[in-house]
Amino acid sequence: MGLLVAGCSTNASASTVHLNWNYFFDSVLHPDSQIQNGLWLTVSIAVTSQLIGVTLGTFAALAKMAKFRPFRIIANIYIWLFRGTPLVVQIVLFYFGLSVARVYGWPAISFMGINIDGAIQAGVFALGVNEGAYFAEIVRAGILAIDPGQMEAAKSLGMTYGQGMRRIVLPQAARVIVPPLGNEFNNMLKTTSLLVLISVPELYTVFNRKQGNYFAPFEFYLAAAVWFLLLTTIWSVIQAWIERRLAKGTAGSANAGPGFWDRLFGRGATAGEKAPLISGGR
Amino acid sequence: MALEKPRDLLGAIGGVPLPATEVVVEATGVEKWFGRLHVLKGVSMTVKRQEVVVVIGASGSGKTTFIRCVNHLEKIQGGRISVNGHLIGYREVNGKLVEDREKNIAKQRQEIGMVFQRFNLFPHMTALENIIEAPLLVRKTPNAEAIEMGRALLARVGLSAKENVYPNQLSGGQQQRVAIARALAMKPALMLFDEPTSALDPEMIGEVLEVIKQLAREGMTMIVVSHEMGFAREVADRVVMMDDGQIIEEGTPEHFFTSPTHERTKSFLSKIL
Repeated sequence: MGLLVAGCSTNASASTVHLNWNYFFDSVLHPDSQIQNGLWLTVSIAVTSQLIGVTLGTFAALAKMAKFRPFRIIANIYIWLFRGTPLVVQIVLFYFGLSVARVYGWPAISFMGINIDGAIQAGVFALGVNEGAYFAEIVRAGILAIDPGQMEAAKSLGMTYGQGMRRIVLPQAARVIVPPLGNEFNNMLKTTSLLVLISVPELYTVFNRKQGNYFAPFEFYLAAAVWFLLLTTIWSVIQAWIERRLAKGTAGSANAGPGFWDRLFGRGATAGEKAPLISGGR
Repeated sequence: MALEKPRDLLGAIGGVPLPATEVVVEATGVEKWFGRLHVLKGVSMTVKRQEVVVVIGASGSGKTTFIRCVNHLEKIQGGRISVNGHLIGYREVNGKLVEDREKNIAKQRQEIGMVFQRFNLFPHMTALENIIEAPLLVRKTPNAEAIEMGRALLARVGLSAKENVYPNQLSGGQQQRVAIARALAMKPALMLFDEPTSALDPEMIGEVLEVIKQLAREGMTMIVVSHEMGFAREVADRVVMMDDGQIIEEGTPEHFFTSPTHERTKSFLSKIL
């Protein structure tokens, strides 16, 4: 940070740029209620959207591998549409497009005593449906990574395909899916910021407003970056813990993923070694 | 550590699940194609109640494919296979065979146990969980009863101490014994063994064969694909030699040891004996 300050001071002498660091430190150390609400909203939108994405993605993956052709066609069209168009377009199309076209007006709803604004619903919907299309490929790869002998053993014991999938294959695929799932959720935490387009008051939207109000883009955007970094860092710790827990018992501790610090500094096992399942960037 | 002899395996599941009919397996003219590759060329085989048939033959001769057809893990393109008096995998509609509904196939498989070359234990479940999963899920056996049966089976394949151990902590021989117990837990009328010892280290082959021999002595009806001729001599009622998708020679184990007639059989046996 010393470098930044030094850089600023030379600038200041040239063109009287003045950085108000109090904006930055206040936003980080004493977040006001707007920022707190934004944080809460970002996390809850990310979690809800990810849950929708995981559910839709799992069904889409199963449909894509189904014997029944119409299921495969529907799944393929879904994945094609939502991976083939920008998320930004999907967000505004769902919110503004559908309401102006009088297809669905996104009225506010009340859920467990909390009033949920229409824009939040539309945002969660768009993020979740988009995530599902990507997650479908991850689930499919996870299922394909399981030895076909597992399903054969299940069938030979009298299980149907559905029973074998639910009790034998999916629980094993879940373990393969967790590392890329963590990756997806890291992405999701940050992607919520796109909801600024439909004025959902999540973390980024709050800082975007503040920087405009005070005309201090550097201080407030930097504070936003710090908050997002904090969220993704906390998530990395949780993810490392989950992966180590999952590896316990069955896979043998030798296969446990790298811990948080190893991950941060790139030490230890390379993540892609066991399963080439990391989803593509977008 | 001396291995405990397997004993009273069928006692653990409440006695011999006697097949309903005198003829347990009746396969006639089974044809199987993998794309343009003709793997089974009119295979016919009859297995009677409590009979042990050992199938031998070089790799690629179709023996594994054949027993996989017997519980419909593979579709067949011609002929028919009946187990316990009903068609496997197909039903007859106006004289033609159409593939049966999934539920019916699953039900038919309940009475056919299968043991795989590579064990195929469920790695996310303990030894006991592997055994009781299908009885609980498919047979709807009450929990306590399933656990009791699972423990009895584990004891009788000499693995009581491994009840809560995951497959990756078991040796190959131990895994295969759990796999046999898992198949028996469904109280099958017929057991299929697909080269049960060929993925094992030599010192573990004996412990698995002991279990299969014990099953044979107790009167389980079985088809075993195996190259263990010593084992075949001890337990087989009949040995069947397959070559290029056909059964080329059939007889008692003694016949194969003393007077095999077919050239292919002679050269095959000279390589494995």
